[in-house]
Amino acid sequence: MSGFFSWAMVGLGLGVVMVRRRSMAVGLITLQSLAIVALALREAREAQDLIAAAGIAARAVVLAIVFLLLISRTREARAVLPSLAPLRRGGLAVVLALGLIWLLSGSGSGPCADDHGRAAISLIAFGLVTSASHRATVFQILGIVLVENGLALVVLSMPGTSWLIELGVAFDLTLLGLVAGVFHERIFVEFGGGDTRVLRSLRD
Amino acid sequence: MIDRSVLAHATILVPALLTILLTVVPRRALRAVATVGALATALPALLLTTAALTHPGEVDAGDWIAVDVAGGLLVGVVALVGGVGVLLSPAYLDSLTGALVAPPRRERLYYTVLFAFWATLTAVPLAGNLGVAWLLIEATTATSALLVAFSGKPRALEAGWKYLVLTSLGLGVALLGIVLLSAGAPHGGLTALSWGSLGDYDAGRENALVAYLLVMIGLAAKIGLAPVHNWLPDAHSEAPAPVSAMLSAALLPSVLLVAWRCQQGLVPVLGERSGQSVFVVLGLLSIGVAVPFLSRSLAWKRLLAYSSLEHMGVIALGIGFGGPLGLAGAAVHVVGHAVAKTLGFVAMTPLVAHEPQAARGPVSGIGRTQPALGSVLGLALGALSGLPPSPLLVSEMLIEAGGFASGRPWAAAAAAVLLALAFLGLFQSLLETTVGESRPRQEGRPGGLRGVTVLAGVSVLLLLGLAGAAAWLPDTQIVQALARGVS
Repeated sequence: MSGFFSWAMVGLGLGVVMVRRRSMAVGLITLQSLAIVALALREAREAQDLIAAAGIAARAVVLAIVFLLLISRTREARAVLPSLAPLRRGGLAVVLALGLIWLLSGSGSGPCADDHGRAAISLIAFGLVTSASHRATVFQILGIVLVENGLALVVLSMPGTSWLIELGVAFDLTLLGLVAGVFHERIFVEFGGGDTRVLRSLRD
Repeated sequence: MIDRSVLAHATILVPALLTILLTVVPRRALRAVATVGALATALPALLLTTAALTHPGEVDAGDWIAVDVAGGLLVGVVALVGGVGVLLSPAYLDSLTGALVAPPRRERLYYTVLFAFWATLTAVPLAGNLGVAWLLIEATTATSALLVAFSGKPRALEAGWKYLVLTSLGLGVALLGIVLLSAGAPHGGLTALSWGSLGDYDAGRENALVAYLLVMIGLAAKIGLAPVHNWLPDAHSEAPAPVSAMLSAALLPSVLLVAWRCQQGLVPVLGERSGQSVFVVLGLLSIGVAVPFLSRSLAWKRLLAYSSLEHMGVIALGIGFGGPLGLAGAAVHVVGHAVAKTLGFVAMTPLVAHEPQAARGPVSGIGRTQPALGSVLGLALGALSGLPPSPLLVSEMLIEAGGFASGRPWAAAAAAVLLALAFLGLFQSLLETTVGESRPRQEGRPGGLRGVTVLAGVSVLLLLGLAGAAAWLPDTQIVQALARGVS
């Protein structure tokens, strides 16, 4: 994998952290998922690698359709602003990514041994920051998808993981996206918007 | 005797097939099919448990399915808790005023998703490798989140959303650890993550430790161990009562078993003490976080939810201390907690029928206005608090002894203090709930009480039997087999 590809992955991931529009974030994350599929296809050596790549592709397409459908059915009267400004979110994401890379650098043989692995770990950090710093329900789920994209990249950079596990992860994430869609719609109907700030009644 | 492998496959397949069946059976037959299905699901599972406990030395460890004494024990717990949940669900459904979907599809959605959850949950203790276990645990999140929010009420939606997002992120972190373990294995594929192969990791102890910590932190989020437990009190208090029982009594210990298997598998790389220390720290932290809440006046299910946090901490301590005493204590605690907590949660349906305020706030003096229900609540809380002759008192004493025997006297002493405080808090709630001041309430038998009373009778027998059996357990082959694990 080229250095350009790694930086493109990081750029798309950082874009998801920093943008405010839900449709824009869905577009970025779908593009990123499809790029991972392209990489998986290029590096496939056996038929089962192709099956795993097809699983990631199916997951990317299904989730893109689900999210875009959800956004079109639940138009926000006012934009749901994140709790942090874009630059702060981006800064936090970069700091967390650097921290994780430092933690996982270890003996030099781990996932952070090359640009590919470092990009993958960055996506996991970006996903965590996206879920934590955005208040919009759709963004919180997109953060989970971003984490899974990072994990898919880690798997590609460190061969050895079973293709069945890769396929299972893609299936589980699709299922999770569908369930999250049900939740998003119900929250929208019940609370009049997809802002998680209203989900704070359960406290002791 | 039926072959254990056949029983294990039947245990996984029966609820999965029933899930499909429930999507197509006529609406009027749903409850009957679910009831028969509950018995059909529990039967092979309990036979498997019997086989595992009567021949504890035998281990069937494949890449996909592994049957050992710990897995057999947990499968039995999941079967019993799930069976009780399904059998007592009609009372919950009859009391329901709203739901995620309209009435014509309500029961079908409930039973289908409940069996899907039960099917995935039953498979977790039997998973033959860490990767498959992760997939199953993640699948339980999707199904059980729908059940948590099933009432469709704003608070239930909030609880379900938190559960979905927080546990999914946690499991994402665990998956990173799993991928790192897989990458460090000398051979790839599914075998690399089988329990027996985890110890072959050859990318260095430091990398293995980082991977193990990531797996543990991620799984701790699903187990509800502090400090990543935030979703637990909300989800357990807002879910339908039968689902709360399954979450607390079956799901949490099943995921804890996966974490333990991971620790056991990595012993050749990390050594025994390092891996166990993580359990000790998480266990103490969880009990410590739970104690202040157990001393407060809380709504019934919320009190039980914080009690889950405490008890998962106790089980984690038992695993962390290890040895015959610690492991025997952990095993008894898993079963005793499951019996008492299931009774406590399913008592919620008649409790709300008798005292509607119980849904949102603390209640008192239930024993004065409805003695049978008050006795059930007292029994559940008494057992959970460790009031003699509760088996949870015996298990806690075994775990404490295990802590001193394993050379962790400070941790054992700290646990003893925290457990004493937890007991005082729960005992105060017990007195308040059963014989505290009461107010005038609706007379007559609340809906669902008959089933709960029968369950209470069975629970008394199980709890007393378990308390008696607990004392001799440390010297048995069962505990020796627990210590060996799958590998």
